[in-house]
Amino acid sequence: MVKVCIFEDEKVTDLHPLTMTRAAFELRIGMSSLLDKIMRMLRGVKPSEVYLEVRDYLAPVVKVRFPEYKVNEYKPVDDTVFVNARLLYAGEEVELACEEVVAVKDGYVAYAYARRSTLEKVGGGSVTDVLTRLREELSSKEAETRLINWPWDLVKHNAEMIRREFEWRGKRGVVPEKVEVVGEKDLVYIDPSVKVYPYVVIDAEEGPVYIDAGAKVFPFTYIQGPTYIGEKTYIMPCARIREGCSIGPVCRVGGEVEESIIHGYSNKYHDGFLGHAYVGQWVNLGAITTNSDLKNDYSEVQVFINGKPINTGELKVGAFIGDHVKTSIGTYLNTGAVVGIMANVLAPDISPKYIPPFTWYIKGVFSRGYGLRRALRTAETMMSRRGVKLTEEERRMYEYLYEVTRKEREEYIRRSRRKKA
Amino acid sequence: MAKLTREEVEQKVKEVIAEQFGVDPASLKPETRFVEDLGADSLASIELVAAIEEAFDIEVPDEDIEKNQTVGQAIEYVIKKLEEKGALA
Repeated sequence: MVKVCIFEDEKVTDLHPLTMTRAAFELRIGMSSLLDKIMRMLRGVKPSEVYLEVRDYLAPVVKVRFPEYKVNEYKPVDDTVFVNARLLYAGEEVELACEEVVAVKDGYVAYAYARRSTLEKVGGGSVTDVLTRLREELSSKEAETRLINWPWDLVKHNAEMIRREFEWRGKRGVVPEKVEVVGEKDLVYIDPSVKVYPYVVIDAEEGPVYIDAGAKVFPFTYIQGPTYIGEKTYIMPCARIREGCSIGPVCRVGGEVEESIIHGYSNKYHDGFLGHAYVGQWVNLGAITTNSDLKNDYSEVQVFINGKPINTGELKVGAFIGDHVKTSIGTYLNTGAVVGIMANVLAPDISPKYIPPFTWYIKGVFSRGYGLRRALRTAETMMSRRGVKLTEEERRMYEYLYEVTRKEREEYIRRSRRKKA
Repeated sequence: MAKLTREEVEQKVKEVIAEQFGVDPASLKPETRFVEDLGADSLASIELVAAIEEAFDIEVPDEDIEKNQTVGQAIEYVIKKLEEKGALA
């Protein structure tokens, strides 16, 4: 029997802050998660046959989120298909479980297939160790699929994935009578349970628009394709949802949003611009919160990942916002800003490029704020408003992350105090 | 966490306050006031409460924050909290 093992590799931390609180395969792009697309690639493999290999501290949380899968239980004792958790499947022809092979992309294993005898020969250890030895043992080839290497890759490929997944879902041409559509009606699907108020314009000239079950679109709103609006998401009055957006589920979104992904359960109720950004879960962006996604000199945007400035090679890069971040009214986020999980931001001038996790950034000063205990209480309050409970596993994950990020946070706070003095 | 004596609590509270306000712990007297003497603003007060909660693994309800205006009051408050949870030697 062939096993399937979806594994996280060492590059997964380059997707911080988004992957600090979730496995890489949970990231959203297009109309679903990376995992949903990997499962499509695996053609008929049941979740119960799949082993998810994630970072140890995430395993309890992933077990709760994906009860039908096996988590961190993989042992290399059967023929195995390995798939990188960062793999973006976009419908490429991929041959799995035929020839033994290691398929590589950007220097990392994208997927591999090895028989039991080979696995016995290369020996046990972690999946990463096994794959390292498999690369020496088996022939390699260039993978047909892409890997998500940086947070901005998700934004970059989002519009294309919406178009593709719109085709995959196969639902089209369903639009309530009074909704104004510009372009082909066939490129629009509005689930019959969606409530669309009068004076809404759907523009499908550049790509499809899919509005999922239970959503509401309030009056005077413009939605431009390709765009996906997730289940039970509300698009607030006068919103401008521009091309390349994936929103939801259960978000409340207003103002102007362009080429951005909002993971789910997050709010941007009011005016303000969000562009080329990825917003995590349980985020609240205060009124007028705006991110820059283009520098005034049109030069390449740098993003701070794990303390290092990374050249993105892109001119348009917005903010990457971790789970449970809150911004005040009138916050301005710098081009390519990274806001760590559970940070609290009040930046009426312009934010720094990086705000560490669990930190408060208030008008030029970094602070430890009200601490983890109150941060978790705020999280519980926000989640309960949407009928969701913070699990014990999540609480322990945040406690762990609070400790491992303490040193960096304290350093920023110390430097900030020195500067203030 | 091992049980602390009153003297250890006093010393530790002073260290936390000193770290927060960038002063020498030895300069802190029981009558030292957070706002008037140490220049605490609302953010510094929030941070101090969080630091004390973390240092002693106690919870300070919001309504108790205003009651602690001086270093001495904060020390007595922490001692009382530790007593309640049986963590005072």
